[in-house]
Amino acid sequence: MLEIRELRKRYADKVALDGVAFAVRPGEMFGFVGANGAGKTTTMRIVMGVLRPDAGEVAWQGRPLGAADRRRFGYMPEERGLYQKMRVGEQVEYFGRLHGLSQPKARRATDELLERLSLTERRADAVEALSLGNQQRVQLAVALVHDPEVLVLDEPFSGLDPIAVDALAGVLQERCRGGVPVIFSSHQLELVERLCDAVGIVSAGRMVASGTVEELRAAESSTLRVVVRDAQPGWADGLPGRLTVNGDRHVLLVEAGEDQEILHRAIKAGHVEHFGVEHPTLTEIFKEAVA
Amino acid sequence: MNSLLLVARREISTQLRTKAFVIGLIVTVVIMAGLAFAPKLMGGPDSYTLGTVNSQQLPLKAAAPDIEFEWRSFPDAAAAKKALLDGDLDAVLVDGTKVQTDGEIETELGVLLQSVNREARLGAAGVNIPPLAMESVGADTRYQEARAGIATVLVILLFMLVIGQAMMVAMGVVEEKGSRIVEILFASLRPWQLLGGKIVGLGVIGVINLVVTLAAGLIAAFASGLAMDFPPGMPMIVTWVLVWFILGYAFYATLAASLASLVSRQEEVGNTLTPMTMLIMVTYLVGFFAANQPTGTLAQIISIIPPFSSIVMPVRLAAADVPLWEVSLAAVLMVAAVLGMLSVGAKVYERAVLRTGAKVKLGDVLRAK
Repeated sequence: MLEIRELRKRYADKVALDGVAFAVRPGEMFGFVGANGAGKTTTMRIVMGVLRPDAGEVAWQGRPLGAADRRRFGYMPEERGLYQKMRVGEQVEYFGRLHGLSQPKARRATDELLERLSLTERRADAVEALSLGNQQRVQLAVALVHDPEVLVLDEPFSGLDPIAVDALAGVLQERCRGGVPVIFSSHQLELVERLCDAVGIVSAGRMVASGTVEELRAAESSTLRVVVRDAQPGWADGLPGRLTVNGDRHVLLVEAGEDQEILHRAIKAGHVEHFGVEHPTLTEIFKEAVA
Repeated sequence: MNSLLLVARREISTQLRTKAFVIGLIVTVVIMAGLAFAPKLMGGPDSYTLGTVNSQQLPLKAAAPDIEFEWRSFPDAAAAKKALLDGDLDAVLVDGTKVQTDGEIETELGVLLQSVNREARLGAAGVNIPPLAMESVGADTRYQEARAGIATVLVILLFMLVIGQAMMVAMGVVEEKGSRIVEILFASLRPWQLLGGKIVGLGVIGVINLVVTLAAGLIAAFASGLAMDFPPGMPMIVTWVLVWFILGYAFYATLAASLASLVSRQEEVGNTLTPMTMLIMVTYLVGFFAANQPTGTLAQIISIIPPFSSIVMPVRLAAADVPLWEVSLAAVLMVAAVLGMLSVGAKVYERAVLRTGAKVKLGDVLRAK
């Protein structure tokens, strides 16, 4: 388990992290969300040892994280970094070797990854000759080549088209199922909602919410939405919530709770077109949390 | 250590593949070959064209075997004078008693004509004077000119290579800093491994460059016959040049890397390297001076003080004989300077290379705990 314990970091003029804490279990995909400047990148850079926290620590398998552990991590920084003039295959292989793989192993891992990321044909091209989307795939390959124990990815999906997003998501889910804890930050909340087992929301250097998407939802109230066609006027009198009449459709939005009573009244009133509890989306939870 | 070697290997294979490296190498080889053949093409041994009017040719060749003499005889003084004024002749011997020239006669030719004439007349009169035996009781100065020439070429060569390779190190550091590759790299290796690997890798490239250039120069010198003038002990000089190049390069490359780690963009490299460029320019100028005045006190002192010694000492070694204690002292001091620079430079690099954005102040980095 990767534990981020009460990280604090201060720059000259501002507090970047003010006690950020969360844990990511093996096989868990953790979505890290927050507004720009909230502290996501700083947290990830501390995890990767790029920055040193003023206080707090990062632990892996119960012990403080060291350089030897980080060598088995995979990292994709926010600002992409690749040798522009180096060939794709050589680059991925080089990073594999730096992470301690033998030459044949690095070669094999590179072959597999490039195949998986549809880059085999670009193997001998210089990185600078690739489209941004493909460069991002190379960046991911660099993070994955040594079969890392933990993945830390800062905005891995930014700037990708939907197909590339799916390809990348597929690779991450595969690694995750293999027992690797994955942390990634993103502004694409629907994507985070779809992919992640757990979500952490950070705002102004503090964790304002964290847990599984279900847990976060449970903390928010859900809305019952009832649509009745050709209803008798006044059918909802005395019921809580807000009724709007839209032509021949009556829409009642009410905090979920006494739903059976409402269903009963609605059936008597007319033709029930829709009756269901609507969970808040992650976007709504996020807006609520950082407000 | 393994990571350091991986980094070094990447630097080497990247550089070897660039056009700039290959072209640069070809250009230096051509220049070295040109230098080796230049004396032959341009100067060569002196030659004189002499005329005779009603005179015998003098045995000048016997007295001055290095000089070529061409003799032409003229029927009368008027024809000879015309040839002289047309510039076809250097001098005319008239009636065996008079030498005519256009303007004042070249001293060497004049002395030669006088003494050979005197000797010929005395010989004819039966007086034989044994030639003076010449010997030097001072330092062997036979090779002085050649040594000064070699030393001058070395100054330029060492200067270009040290500054060129140090520049490559600086650009590599900024490339990695600016593109944030360092962030990924530092997850798998320590800063000193990245820095060390880069310096070692580009140093190997520098040594390859130097060895190829020296080899080209020596081979061309042997081919052109210039090597006949070379002093004994050339292998020793070449060995010292390599040793001093490595020391000088290690010093300046580390300095370049630490200065470069302060900035994030290639455009800022020239500016941030100014202190290094100044230092190396001073070294270069003093080196030039030492090539011509290798025994002067200034050359002697500067050739012991690091980092100037890195260029000035090998130049002095090539230009003159240097006492062993001076070389040893200079080497010990330079090694100490390199170690000091490595320890400070690595610290600056480690602290500054992750701080992207505006230029990092050197003072801040050194003060930080």
